[in-house]
Amino acid sequence: MSENPFKIIRPTDQVPDDLKKDVMGSVKFVMLLIRFVQLFMADYSASVFDSVRLTGRTDKDPRPPDRGNNTP
Amino acid sequence: MPIRDQAAKDKALSDEELVAELQRHMDADRFGVLYDRYSALVFQKCLGMTRDRDLAKDLTHDIFLKAFVNLGKFDHRSKFGTWLYRITYNYCLDHLRKAQRRRTDDIDEHPVKDGLADDRYEAELLALRAERLGAVLEALDPEDRALLLMKYMEDLSVKEMMEVLELGESAVKMRMLRARERALGKYRELYPEEA
Repeated sequence: MSENPFKIIRPTDQVPDDLKKDVMGSVKFVMLLIRFVQLFMADYSASVFDSVRLTGRTDKDPRPPDRGNNTP
Repeated sequence: MPIRDQAAKDKALSDEELVAELQRHMDADRFGVLYDRYSALVFQKCLGMTRDRDLAKDLTHDIFLKAFVNLGKFDHRSKFGTWLYRITYNYCLDHLRKAQRRRTDDIDEHPVKDGLADDRYEAELLALRAERLGAVLEALDPEDRALLLMKYMEDLSVKEMMEVLELGESAVKMRMLRARERALGKYRELYPEEA
């Protein structure tokens, strides 16, 4: 049986030497961008929460005097 | 840990262990180990699909970057190699489709009848002369070309093709059958004297 022609035309070219440098450079740039975004988002959310004041009542809030039961 | 020790330790890890480490903490050098393992495969796959060395280089760059950005989405249900192969296949195909701007026929995904599984075109396709096969592949739709390369050049099993293409068994077999049919049709168009 003859050889599979797909195997004959299979590319055997080596990966260009400078490609790894390009890929790693881009990866490092993306990492930098992600870090920057994370930093910005952390500050952004912190600044948003800084301007939020809780107005709901909690158990620790001082209670106003109970007007209905003030008779001895 | 000294950098050299870390590099040696990373090289001893499996693909999936490396990815798990990268998912915990991004590290360009650690990703470089994955690049070293798969760059030749990805580049040759791109070259097989595009037949253009410069374009294959650009696509390989983009595919590794895409893989890095999407590492968090890798769910460890398949092998890392299969996942990367899927990105490669989809990325090359998208690029070729955009470049060619040609209409792709809708592929019918009806279940394959039992008799069709024994593909009668396979022997004919594998009997083509190599230089003519190259011309046939060049003239084919990128999706058909990619399928034929997957099956006959890279020897992927139907199961592996199902994982890469995210399709069921019958859909994969039907697409393969159609790809072989169209390849032989192109061959007859290009070399009518031999038909």
